[in-house]
Amino acid sequence: MKNNYFFILLFVFTAMLHAHSSKGAMLAKELKLDAASKAIIQWERVFRSQHKKKRYHIDTLSTEDQQILKEYLIDHAIDSDHPMIAGA
Amino acid sequence: MLKVLLFFLCTSVVFASNETPTIQTLEKQIQELQKEIKTLQKGHQSLHKQTQDNYNELYDFTESVETKVLEDKMKFSLGLKFGDDFIDKTYADGTHIHSNNMLTTKFMLGLHADITQNLKFHGRLSMYKYWGSSLTHPYSYYDNMQGRVPSNSALYVERAYIDYFFFQDTSLPMALTIGRQPSTDGPSHQFKENLTRKATYSALLYDGVADGAVLTCNLSKLFHYNKTYLRFGYSKGFGYVNSDTYVGNAYIGASNDDIKDTNVYGIFFDTTLANMPNSLIQISYSQMKDIIANPLDTNYTNNKNIGDMQLFGAMLEVTNFQEKNIDFFIHYGYNKSDPNTQTYQDPNGNNLDLLGDGTEAKSGYAYWIGGRYGFGEKAHYKIGYEYNHGSKNWVSLTQGSYDLYNKLSTRGDTSEVYGMYVANRYLNFRLGYINIKYDYTGSGWFIGEGRKPTGQDLEKLQAVYLKMNMAY
Repeated sequence: MKNNYFFILLFVFTAMLHAHSSKGAMLAKELKLDAASKAIIQWERVFRSQHKKKRYHIDTLSTEDQQILKEYLIDHAIDSDHPMIAGA
Repeated sequence: MLKVLLFFLCTSVVFASNETPTIQTLEKQIQELQKEIKTLQKGHQSLHKQTQDNYNELYDFTESVETKVLEDKMKFSLGLKFGDDFIDKTYADGTHIHSNNMLTTKFMLGLHADITQNLKFHGRLSMYKYWGSSLTHPYSYYDNMQGRVPSNSALYVERAYIDYFFFQDTSLPMALTIGRQPSTDGPSHQFKENLTRKATYSALLYDGVADGAVLTCNLSKLFHYNKTYLRFGYSKGFGYVNSDTYVGNAYIGASNDDIKDTNVYGIFFDTTLANMPNSLIQISYSQMKDIIANPLDTNYTNNKNIGDMQLFGAMLEVTNFQEKNIDFFIHYGYNKSDPNTQTYQDPNGNNLDLLGDGTEAKSGYAYWIGGRYGFGEKAHYKIGYEYNHGSKNWVSLTQGSYDLYNKLSTRGDTSEVYGMYVANRYLNFRLGYINIKYDYTGSGWFIGEGRKPTGQDLEKLQAVYLKMNMAY
């Protein structure tokens, strides 16, 4: 019976999900920015400087999108906490 | 440039005035212009030289920095975990035992090297101990648990492996991972630790140190679908090395033909949900061949291979669902034994075999669900809940779990709730409560049959804990 509960839960979880990709990743892709090309402190520097934001066309985004992009780039920076997985 | 313009201006004025300049005037003006040009040329040469000097200086500086970077062959990372557990154990006969203020420290030194573009090394040295205790955990040197159970301050090699990537330009890139594998603290333990995924395999099935080799086939290009991998793994769960056979400077070979190594073979499929790169689906099947009854018992007259075991698993986890700071996961595990009728006599004189007395194959199952929600500015506060259930014959390879209670091996029910404060990206604090109810004895053990707790068998465990986790 408990096995059945498990599969019901699995179904409910799966049904909850629908296509949705990370907005930060999409913004980075649009602006052709590779998060792993810089360290956390370097991305922070980019977002502090209007000149650098202009250079990477980040200034064309809304303030909210800039914040989402900043979080994404910092979370995936070269020196951020990376997964440890065999062969990936 | 300004001078040239002035020249044109002057000549224009001269012509505009309708006065014919004399040859001498023109020659003089030409001489002046030639002088100006020479001056400009000198200035230009001087500027060029200065730029060149600056460039050379900058190049030398950049190269010296590059040299320093290249010289640093190894990169280090640091992990430090503190824990304080207040434990209440209830036995089947109704007696209670309190273990308060169980303070622990786990120290981890991470090592990483990008040797070449397609060859990388990862390592982790670990120490895990109780505060103020000189006790050496009796299983701390058991290969699967080294650096994973609180013992003395010995530093163990928890991970040491290379990833060799090949066929990278083809539609089927591959990688070979050899060494002490990333097989501890796997998904979905990372939510509780506020880290990224720290191992390859579902933590419900595998959580322990393992030496092995894994071939990873990256199917992402082939199927045009991100993060899709097929892995074939081999690991040695127990390697028989007999001290009777000493050759050169090592113990080599086995003199007892009756004892075989325990080998583990597995196949693992990883992918993600459509357009959800922050998710993980994993389906796995593995087989343990020739399981040794007690890896630490060197009395091989009594210690024997007791059979084989199959392990099947499926899991789904989603991180930051729809950017709402919601994470959740669900895992399922199933095990089936194939005993060989050989028995092992435990210190109490009981004859035991794989999940029973060796007369019949048995199966068990377990599931583990949980979620976490982050709130407040930058989701600095998080709350989480986890529940797992294991059946009478549930057993998997989680003996090396960092968790003091190895809760995922429970033959019964476990609930855990916690609140977390994320001080910054490197440091977090967690206050939690865990409640374990054991329906059957023998949680985490391959040998013997689980039975209803009686007398001095543990029936219930509750603990309140405070954890600090730093990873840099």
